[in-house]
Amino acid sequence: MLLFKLAFLNIGRNPRRSVITVLAVAVGLGALIFLWGFSDGTTDQMRENVIQLVTGHAQIHAKDFEKKLTIENTVPEHRSLVKRLSGMKNVVAVTERAKCEALVGTSENSRGILLVGIDPVREVKVTRLLNYVTRGKFLMPDDKRGILLGNRLAERLEVDTGDKIVVMTQAMDGTLAGFAYHIKGILHTGSQSLDEMSAYITLDSAQELLGLEGEVHEIVVRLKERKALPAFLASVKSFLDLKVYELMTWDQVVPEVEQWAAWGEAIIRTILVAVMFVIGVGIMNTVLMSVFERTKEFGVMIAIGTSPIQVMKLIFFETFVLEFFGMILGIIGGYAVTGYFGKVGIAFPELERAFSKSYMSTVTYTQVTPAHVIQSIIILFILTSFISLYPAWKAGHTEPIKAIYKG
Amino acid sequence: MPLIRVVKVTKSFREESLPVTALDSVSIEVEEGAFLAVCGPSGSGKTTLLNLIGCLDKPTSGNIYLEDDEISALGQKELTDFRLRKIGFIFQDYNLIPTFTAIENVEYVLWLQGVAPRERRRLALEVCERFGVAALAFRRPWQLSRGQQQRIAVARAVVHRPRLVLGDELTANLDHKTGQELMAFLKELNKEEGVTFLYATHDPVMMGYADKIIRLYDGRILE
Ligand SMILES: Nc1ncnc2c1ncn2[C@@H]1O[C@H](COP(=O)(O)OP(=O)(O)OP(=O)(O)O)[C@@H](O)[C@H]1O
Ligand SMILES: [Mg+2]
Repeated sequence: MLLFKLAFLNIGRNPRRSVITVLAVAVGLGALIFLWGFSDGTTDQMRENVIQLVTGHAQIHAKDFEKKLTIENTVPEHRSLVKRLSGMKNVVAVTERAKCEALVGTSENSRGILLVGIDPVREVKVTRLLNYVTRGKFLMPDDKRGILLGNRLAERLEVDTGDKIVVMTQAMDGTLAGFAYHIKGILHTGSQSLDEMSAYITLDSAQELLGLEGEVHEIVVRLKERKALPAFLASVKSFLDLKVYELMTWDQVVPEVEQWAAWGEAIIRTILVAVMFVIGVGIMNTVLMSVFERTKEFGVMIAIGTSPIQVMKLIFFETFVLEFFGMILGIIGGYAVTGYFGKVGIAFPELERAFSKSYMSTVTYTQVTPAHVIQSIIILFILTSFISLYPAWKAGHTEPIKAIYKG
Repeated sequence: MPLIRVVKVTKSFREESLPVTALDSVSIEVEEGAFLAVCGPSGSGKTTLLNLIGCLDKPTSGNIYLEDDEISALGQKELTDFRLRKIGFIFQDYNLIPTFTAIENVEYVLWLQGVAPRERRRLALEVCERFGVAALAFRRPWQLSRGQQQRIAVARAVVHRPRLVLGDELTANLDHKTGQELMAFLKELNKEEGVTFLYATHDPVMMGYADKIIRLYDGRILE
């Protein structure tokens, strides 16, 4: 097609401008892919962090336990339930916990916390709590009077490993129960709520403290991967009586995560709009310049019988070809950069404090989501097509006489 | 029946609120196969007349008929089609499309008309040969002399065998010898194929080629 050929030839006419346009599109699309990859990587890690830190993929409690933390509200028939869950498809590990509100203190200070009784052996198969012990040691199964504190809690109480603290809470029978524990280890998870308001003892010890007599409050399940969750939930629901139990997913346990993810996504989208705007103006500028330079030519073309539509098509072709090469370059570049930082990661150590509320990692591993790449391409394509509309219209409506005799 | 009938055409422009009457109640008839020169001093309305006949502009009043069609009654689409199929333009400064080769410039009009690639190339080469520029077919306009460029421009104007070819000062940028050669070619085409030519000039030598001369003065015809 001669018009297409003409478009190509015209592009070659001002190589520098064409290269600039191609690069603008490439950088724009590359930036879109990267930013989206950054956002996806961040939120995905945030989700994984929450799951691996505390929640597991799913939890089962007695109905309404999580909200009220009523200690009498233990999981009915937890042993057979654990057995059944352990045998299910995609289940990697299952553990049990006891949970209650408690007061920890020394002679000088005391604070209200969430006391969690964990089974040290099974817990480490479900969560990564073990990895967050920064000082001292993790609990052993026979650590009847050992306790793990979050680092901020330890700071507030002005205690450290080896020190003794007293834990007090209300037992099953309504009496006030209290034991002295020695601090075995300090946890530093990066999550404010965990580091400031949680303490861990063994499940046995918690059961003894609360008078639970072997009962538990929480069953935590870890799956092979997050994707297996819907199928897992469906099959659990087929046998679990939801009038008696509550079945919670990780994001129901820590709902803030999805809010943070949505917030992050919104920020990224705002940046995307800004990036788009800059690219759009750049492309508009180069296309307009190339049109104004050729007014006389368009005048002649129209005079000898080219229709305005054909002239507009020519401009569209020209923009499209530049856009096409720009996009290929952008996709390659975007994938390369995003892939590279997906391996190496981008560290933001200084942001640890800001991120500690959000379970975000201080190192982000960017992540390419093909659907988002396709969306970026479509968005950029629509944008640039829209942008070349005006120059194309302008070229198509050149008045031959004015263009030929005054140009 | 004449090919073109210009009936009491007036064209005025309004430049900075001062109206200029470029053509004042002009009436002419151009027979098919004519080789006609429009002459007159600068500003007499030659270009304006050619533009009106060439469907590039519309008269302020009066009518122009190309065969049976009244030009000012035509819509944008039909005008484009008219210019494409019935009229060939030769401009003073050639106005070739700079990115195309010479032959592509000639072919372009045929492409617009939807002629198949092979046929296009054949017809274009044929015309170039006729004007003695076949050897230059694959050069770009900037690699051609002015005379060569104008010959390519002429080839572009006649390759699709329009009923009417319009040339505004088509030899003004050429030296005398080259200009005369070009006129000789056009005259030959006119004699052999009966293509109607209408050209504006103020060069007495170029007027010499015409069968008939229309003299304009201040937008009016001098008889
Ligand atoms: N687009 C326009 N706007 C305003 N006035 C115009 C326009 N085109 C032509 N004119 C005026 O109309 C008159 C006739 O102009 P035209 O170009 O037809 O003359 P011409 O005979 O071709 O002159 P030349 O020999 O110099 O080319 C002139 O006075 C010119 O200034
Ligand atoms: Mg003129």
